[in-house]
Formats: sequence, C-alpha cells, structure tokens
Amino acid sequence: MISLQSIAGGKRAVLLLLVFLAVALLLLPESRQESLMVIGRPMAAVIAVPLRVMEAANQKIDTTVNRYLALQQWREENRALRQHIAHLQEENARLRETAVAATRLHDLLELQEQLPYPTVAAQVIGRDPTNWYRSLVINKGRKNGLAADMGVVTPAGAVGRIVKAYDRFAIVLLLNDLNNAVTGLVQRTRDEGIVEGTEKGLAQIKYLPLLSTVKVGDQVVTSGLAGGFPRGLPIGTITKIERREAELFLSAEIAPDADFTKIEEVLVITAPRESAQLPANPFSFQPAAPVKPAGEPR
Amino acid sequence: MKVLGYAALILLLVPLQVVLVDRISLFDIRPDLALVAVCLIGLYRGEMDALLAGIAMGFAQDLFSGGGQWSNLCLKPIIGLIAGLASRNLVNLTWLFAFGLILCLSVLSGTVMYLLKAYTGPGASFFLAARGIILPQACYDALVGLALFKLLQRGRASRTPQSALSYE
Repeated sequence: MISLQSIAGGKRAVLLLLVFLAVALLLLPESRQESLMVIGRPMAAVIAVPLRVMEAANQKIDTTVNRYLALQQWREENRALRQHIAHLQEENARLRETAVAATRLHDLLELQEQLPYPTVAAQVIGRDPTNWYRSLVINKGRKNGLAADMGVVTPAGAVGRIVKAYDRFAIVLLLNDLNNAVTGLVQRTRDEGIVEGTEKGLAQIKYLPLLSTVKVGDQVVTSGLAGGFPRGLPIGTITKIERREAELFLSAEIAPDADFTKIEEVLVITAPRESAQLPANPFSFQPAAPVKPAGEPR
Repeated sequence: MKVLGYAALILLLVPLQVVLVDRISLFDIRPDLALVAVCLIGLYRGEMDALLAGIAMGFAQDLFSGGGQWSNLCLKPIIGLIAGLASRNLVNLTWLFAFGLILCLSVLSGTVMYLLKAYTGPGASFFLAARGIILPQACYDALVGLALFKLLQRGRASRTPQSALSYE
C-alpha cells in the first residue's frame, strides 16, 4: 500500500493538487478540452522529434532483426545449396568420367568390330614396377587365350606386344621400349624397316634403304611380316630422318600415334593371320560400303 | 609369424608398386618400393632376413616387369645383404645413415641394372641413363626410405618403454 503519510507535507500538497487537476481535466467537457490542445500541439511537435528518431531506430532494428533472421534462413539454405552443388559436382565428374569411358570403349568396340581378326579386349591395371622398362600390365591372360608375342592395339594404333602371359594377366612391352622390335613399313614409299623404342620414349624405324625417298610426315604402319601384328596397323608419323655417312641404311624417328601414358583399354590380336586382309582404313571408323553383286550395272 | 609378415609384405608391396606407385611418379620416375623395403629390412633385421626378402621381392618384381632377364631377382638380395652387413657394426642407426645408404644402394642397383641391360640388349648411353633414371630414382628412393625410416622409428619409440637406463 502507498502511504501518503511517508511523503513530506509540501510535496504531499503538490501531489494532491496534481491528482485533482488530472481528475478535473478528465471530467472537463469535450468542448473545453480543445483549449488544452494549445499547449498540446507544440508539445507534440517537440515530442515528434525523438518520436521520429525512435521510429527510425525501430525501423532499423526491425530491418536488422529481419535481415538477421533472413540471414539465418539463407545460411541454412546456403549450406543446403552448397551441399547440393558439391553433390552435383561429384555426380557431374562421375558422369563425365563415364562419358569419357563410354567414348573410349565405343571406339574400342568399333575397332574390334572392324578388325578382321579375333581380338580380346583388356584393361590396363598397372605399369612396370621398375623404371627400366616401358610396359603395361593387363587384366587378361592365358585363360582368355592370350600368349607371348601377340600384338596389342588401341583405336590410335599399335602399342606393343605381349612379352609375358600368366593365367589372369599379361605384360605388354610398349613400342617405345628399347627392347621392343616390330617390323614396320613406311606407308607411302613401302620401305620396310624395324621399329624400336628410343631413350627419349619415342620410336624409330631402322634399316630403311639408303635411297629411300622417305620424308618427315610419312606414316609408318606395321608390315605384318613378323610378330603379332597384321599388315597396316598405324604405328606413328616420321618426325626426323637421320642420314649418317658411311652407313648402309637410313633411320627415322617416329612420334607414335598412341599416347602410351594414357592407355586404359587395349585390344589384343590373338590371331593376326587368320583373316586375309585388313580393311582399307580400320582406324577411321567409317562403315564399309555395301558390296554389290557381280554383274550388277554400275 | 615373421614369415607370415614377410609374405604379407611381398603380397602387398609388389601390387602396390605395379598399380599405385604410378600415381606418385615424378617426371615419369617411380620409387622402387621393393629396394627401399629390402634396405630397411637389412638395417633393422639383419642380412639374412634382407637376403631372403630380397629374393622373394625381386622375383615377384621380375614377374610383373617387361624385362626378359631376372635382374631384380639377382639384385635385390645383394642390396639386402649389403644393407644388412652395413648395419651390423652400427652403434646408432641415424636417419642420415639410412638416407645415405639407400641413396648409394639405389645408385648401385641402377648402375648394375644399366650394365645388365646394355650387356643383353640395345643400351642407351650411360650419361642419359644416369641423368634420366639412376640418379632421380636414387633420390626418390632415399626420400621414401627416409620417410618410412622415420615412421618405423616413431613406431618403435612408442612401443619401447622408457627406462632410467635409456639415454636416447
């Protein structure tokens, strides 16, 4: 309870007066209340200044709070979207990889269908354990009909030959290895030679006739005379010709058509001499023209 | 138990070398994990263990290599034997010694490998082989060996209880 007894005498009188005035103003008729507005308007004008300031501050607070709340919501949304993007990127990378693999396998399949001799498709599972040989380990072996000396090709051309065949895997010595030797043929001049690897990781064709008209840019293909390759598989393009004095033969450096560092799938030619001829250009993937029966008008 | 451990090591190491080491190749040079393993076995377990492990690892390595000769089968046990003998009279096995030993043995192995290749087939020039394969591989082998040596030392230190007599 508020006790007026505790307030000092003068103050008590002022307080009572103010209460009386307030009650009197409340009881004043409405028509007379207008006179109060004379004092009220300037006072309202004065109060309006801080009111506007406070209103602006309130707006600011409101905006900030709303922004903060929205930020919280956006943060959650952002996190979810980031997760979604990461997931999509992962999926995209996987799909790209699948698409690249599909293209590669499609090329390989087309080559397999166009080559007129039996082949076995294999996947590269490893590389030589030493730095001294350039070889690949493939996931097919004797159980799949592979044996030593069989030729290995990709859609880009010949890549090497099998040197060791085990039951479930085989070792392919690449054409750019120093120890590999395959009989080759310069396609334009029909000069034959031996294709060997070089120290630089390229290949070279040796023992070309001294009077050969071979030139830079000529294509070298397999000659089919020996080894596991049939005639006509692309090996590479001549990039440099070496003519040394007092030598009976020419040799030329070849840039291999196949990129040996990026081989993932290969075809192993299991019987290069079973079928008679290689089609005109099996590496262009163009469908062969239909054969017209003899006697049909042209 | 020891035999099982070595068998597991060989079974894991050679496939690792064939399949995965290509991913850590620098300028087309890969470390020879079998050589590093044989050296470390020699240093920690002595010449006999290293010799036997070298035979097994060299043989397994040659199975997967494109080379015709059994050069790793001959070289790896010798490397292991040298590493084992080198560690025999060693008082304190330091990282510097292990690094230097693996480096030297890798250079030795590379040089013998080059000579074997040159003797049996068309050989590249020794200068090119040294610059392109022998020295880079030796450095890489030594670094890998050093990393494994540090790991092994840490593992051994955590297993060995510290006593009042230990001065290390």
